[in-house]
Amino acid sequence: MHLHVHSRFSFMDGAADLDALIARAVEFGMPALALTDHQGLYGALRFYRKALKAGIRPIIGVEVVLETAGLPGEEGDLPPEERLHLPATVGFGRAAGRGFHLTLLVKDMNGYRNLCGLLSRAHVQSRDEPSVVSLVDLGRHSEGLIGLSGCSNGEAGAAVLAGLGWRAEEALRRISRCFASGDFYVELMHTLTPESPSYVSGLMAIAERLRLPVVATNNVHYVERREFRLHDVLAAAGTHTELPGPYERQNAELWLKPAGEMRRLFADIPQACDATLEITERCNLDLGLGAFHFPGAEVAVGETPYSTLAKAAWQGLERRYRPVTPASVARLQHELSVIQDLGFSEYFLVVKDIVDFARSRGIRYSGRGSAGDSIVTYLLGITDADPIRHDLLFERFLNPKRCQMPDIDVDFDSRRRDEVIAYIYRRFGNEHVAMVATVQKMSARSAVRTVARAFDLPIAEVNALSRHLPWVSAHRLREVLDTYPECASHPLKNTARYGLLTELAGELSGCPMHLGTHLGGFIITREPIATWMPLQWAAKGVVVSQYDKDDIEMLGLAKMDILGLRMHSAISDTVTLARARVGADAVPEPFDLTPDDPAVYELIASADTVGMFQLESSGQRNLAMRLKERTFEDIIAAISLFRPGPLEAEMITPFIRRRHGIEPVTVPHPAMGEILRDSYGVILYQEQVLRVAQAIAGFSLAEADSLRRAMTKGRSREEMEKIHGHFVTRAVGLGVPRAAAEEAFRQLEGFAAYGFCKAHAACFAVVSYASAWLKRYYPAEFAASLLNNEPMGFYTPRLVVNDARRHGIGILPPHVNASRGTYTVEDDGRSIRVGFRDVHEMTHRLLGVIEREQDVRPFRDLADFLRRTRAEANAAESLIRVGALDGLGSTDAGRPSTRDELLALLPEMKAVIAREGVAGDDVLVLAPAKAREPEDPTHVSGWSRARRLSAELEIVGLSLECHPLALARADLERRGVTWARDLPRLGDRTRVRVAGVRERAQTPRTRSGKRTCFLTLEDPTGLLDVVVFENALNRAGETIVKHRAYIIDGVLQNNHERGIAIIADRIEPYVVRTAGGAHVRMRRGVPSGPMGPSLGGAGAPEEESWAAAEAALAGAPTGYDG
Amino acid sequence: MGRNSAIKAFDPANKTGIPLDLFSGRDTRRPVIVELLRSPWIVRGSQVASGSSGHGGKRREEEVEVSWDGTRRTPESFRMHGKRYSVDALVQTWALERAWWDPRARLSRRCFRVLARGGLYDLAYDRITDRWLLVGIVD
Repeated sequence: MHLHVHSRFSFMDGAADLDALIARAVEFGMPALALTDHQGLYGALRFYRKALKAGIRPIIGVEVVLETAGLPGEEGDLPPEERLHLPATVGFGRAAGRGFHLTLLVKDMNGYRNLCGLLSRAHVQSRDEPSVVSLVDLGRHSEGLIGLSGCSNGEAGAAVLAGLGWRAEEALRRISRCFASGDFYVELMHTLTPESPSYVSGLMAIAERLRLPVVATNNVHYVERREFRLHDVLAAAGTHTELPGPYERQNAELWLKPAGEMRRLFADIPQACDATLEITERCNLDLGLGAFHFPGAEVAVGETPYSTLAKAAWQGLERRYRPVTPASVARLQHELSVIQDLGFSEYFLVVKDIVDFARSRGIRYSGRGSAGDSIVTYLLGITDADPIRHDLLFERFLNPKRCQMPDIDVDFDSRRRDEVIAYIYRRFGNEHVAMVATVQKMSARSAVRTVARAFDLPIAEVNALSRHLPWVSAHRLREVLDTYPECASHPLKNTARYGLLTELAGELSGCPMHLGTHLGGFIITREPIATWMPLQWAAKGVVVSQYDKDDIEMLGLAKMDILGLRMHSAISDTVTLARARVGADAVPEPFDLTPDDPAVYELIASADTVGMFQLESSGQRNLAMRLKERTFEDIIAAISLFRPGPLEAEMITPFIRRRHGIEPVTVPHPAMGEILRDSYGVILYQEQVLRVAQAIAGFSLAEADSLRRAMTKGRSREEMEKIHGHFVTRAVGLGVPRAAAEEAFRQLEGFAAYGFCKAHAACFAVVSYASAWLKRYYPAEFAASLLNNEPMGFYTPRLVVNDARRHGIGILPPHVNASRGTYTVEDDGRSIRVGFRDVHEMTHRLLGVIEREQDVRPFRDLADFLRRTRAEANAAESLIRVGALDGLGSTDAGRPSTRDELLALLPEMKAVIAREGVAGDDVLVLAPAKAREPEDPTHVSGWSRARRLSAELEIVGLSLECHPLALARADLERRGVTWARDLPRLGDRTRVRVAGVRERAQTPRTRSGKRTCFLTLEDPTGLLDVVVFENALNRAGETIVKHRAYIIDGVLQNNHERGIAIIADRIEPYVVRTAGGAHVRMRRGVPSGPMGPSLGGAGAPEEESWAAAEAALAGAPTGYDG
Repeated sequence: MGRNSAIKAFDPANKTGIPLDLFSGRDTRRPVIVELLRSPWIVRGSQVASGSSGHGGKRREEEVEVSWDGTRRTPESFRMHGKRYSVDALVQTWALERAWWDPRARLSRRCFRVLARGGLYDLAYDRITDRWLLVGIVD
């Protein structure tokens, strides 16, 4: 048995995959295996579950950093030659320099709780101090734990290697006192180095003197010997050093050796190997999985959680249903009884508590997911879709036959989510709340970077190798390089130079890199949370669990997703702006609207959906053209249809054909006709699967949900045969003809795995309708709010601005006398003024000063602006170049200064102001700077249109005056280009030539395995959807990646079944030039402003161009593209 | 009596001394030598001269022919300069794996320090070239 084993969860200091470890242990016939990752139990629960499943006993453990024990004082008190070599930082961070390794193994549940407490205390006690375990804490928490003295980085081991036997002895003596008698072992490792024999015999001699037992371990870091290279690479990258890395290992012996090998190494000390068996016998941890542990809910004296929940639900019934219907009463009674039977009342009360707080503070929120299937969540105000009206089934959410933890996810206004989080901590107590962790794993890009860094390649080369890889798993790296057209000239294809790098990167696929924080998952427990799991500080500055959401679920703890949804912020902002303009009473609450406004559906059906929640993607716009939504149910269907499952099962085509009467609606049994009426006989929703099983085979809804799950997850042929027989027999027993029953089952089998949860779609549809209504009636406010909450949605801010312009909304440029930090609405809702939030080089300080000074008086000229704001030179330059100071001041020529003149004056003015300070006259007179002649004397800026547009794209990421291609309109029309707005008038299969700027490019996996690229382009008149099938993609892949504007030849597809799209067969790059030949630069300089990154205006940041990377590599300046 | 029984039987209280038959022959002497060579507290002169690397002594590297004992997983004998050296005892074994990322400097060896013909020899099996080398003759 191995009792000192590191997996990949030792974060950059272990190359052993958990599955491979367990499989090898089983192969070697080991009855048990320990997992002792660095500083935490990150992989412990997965290991526990997998090991039990494989039939071996899991021993949970950890390797911690323990403070110095073998010295009376501090390490620093010793003369340098007597100090010990401190462990490397990899896996331990700063703690590595503050102590020595110690291995701890859990004997029982008491030990597990003590270990969680010990780790939490070490990690959380101070954010500033490294996570080092003190001897005092170790003594307090050692019950139920077995201690091993650690590897050669343990204090005793390091002292023996340094020839300081006295110190090793003292350390072992003091550490052993922290444990109960017989619970501390001296760990012997024979790692086949020249020093190993003396290391082992030195420790053995001390152990005999102290009468401590010894145990043999191998400090396993990889499963097989050949994986030592991965370990070296990870350790080197983890410590930001090049190979051989921090350990400078002499050999590759830290693998999972079989018992015979270990016995041979310790032939002289057989008791060391025997001790592994003895320890295994003493470690019997049972985590008691399967039980639920809910946080405590607050109930009044004399009430129970159930009675409190029931009362709140009945009150909600009166409020939500007017009049109260027998169906709603019966439904509520049924749900409450199930909730009581399952003992879940407290969980519902906790969620209610949190949403009640949000409501009381006016924080917009909405429940999502299968929780929408419950009338209780609807009545408690957690969700907003009526489950009876939309035929949503409670059993899809809570199946009484499967006792499973309920999961209620709630989206909150992302800007005010922190208020909700603060309330949760306040309400339940800091010791009872923690955030859920996520494990960040390596993708192809990060794997390549990791190996390249370990190989000490120059950073420019590392960037060039990693940046242009598609976002795929690292194990597909070789395949991607060989087959993806956009990788045709990727440098990694040079196998002579990068063959080893590519091979190792591929092997690092999915390797955990570090612990992250879940977007919104919170764990709330009744007992202090540190008794359930170790906690630590996350980089974000919050306390996180060391477990991820699956681990939490396995432990049976309550988890809540408090997610931030920017659309909620945008909707709230729109309402505020609209109410400010037209009056508070004139704008109703969008979530309370009856979703029946034909004008809103007309907008959606015309695919004019940019900015609408869940309805704006290119796929959804295409679907809208075919579906022509008319009702709220249609919105639910649209949201559900464009999902991976329904897409994979190709449900859209039969749905659309039947809706338009192209093919008849046929169902095997009349009962199914009624259930599938809304989806034209297609089994689209998971809830419909339950209904069909109930109607045809007489299943209860709970049984039907179990059937659905069985059909969905890991179904084997035998299982399906069994389910099939059962279904048909029961259906025939109910008088359903066998043929109809067989056909019904065939359809269920085909669609059960692909259906979408209708409740989830219905919850989203409420938000979708609200956003569509706001776009229809308050388009300027809606667009400004979207822009103020970027990054969000499917499109870039540039496209949102262009879309607003196409709707007749004026786009006013940023100006120091008119713009605020955010985008604002002017001209009674007819114009949007661009705010400073996205201006490159703008700082929070400057933004605040500009707003304050604007309130005092307008800025007169550049000198006035600089003097009053003390604007930094870079920010001032950006503002001048984007036109924010256009029209200010006056020159001798009796006109305002041009941008060139302002730019020429800027350095001198800054210098004079810096010399003068703030005192004195606020009028600064400088001789007019020499500047070049205005390119366009008719414009106040003196700049040509192309130059203005390039500056706008570079500095704010937007094209404010017009779409970039509008400048090349004449050229494009001469080339025979058809504009997007004219496409609907052309017939199906017409050959067309279009031009556009790339907005999105997606290459989703298709059923056939072939690659198809879906390009969303924009021209001055609208959006273009282009489909590039594999053949064309092979020819044009590089063009798509390297350029941003294209001319595309292809065939127009324009029919009811498939909507409007261009099937491309030729894609050529297009260089945007004005009629005068001026070049328009299409890319943004830096994609961020003071409010954080807005997903780059004209698209991607500079480095996304291969040309840029290649230029960087060669040290050459970056060129233009497009 | 176990190993080194002759040494252990020595009685310092016996003023008359005992006959000097500590080692009755080669077979009784070898365990003592091996024990001493393995003792961590004994430092050989070659190690002192070459620092703490542990591979001091006369550094040589030449290909040798080794016959392998598969059962005990140790070299049985080796042939050097036409002379056969029978391995009397395995003193120590270690493994080396260095600079794997650099084809020019890469080293992957399994080393055996053996006692043969009264001398101490370091044999190494080179995994890359698949040959046996004599990498050191130590005092």
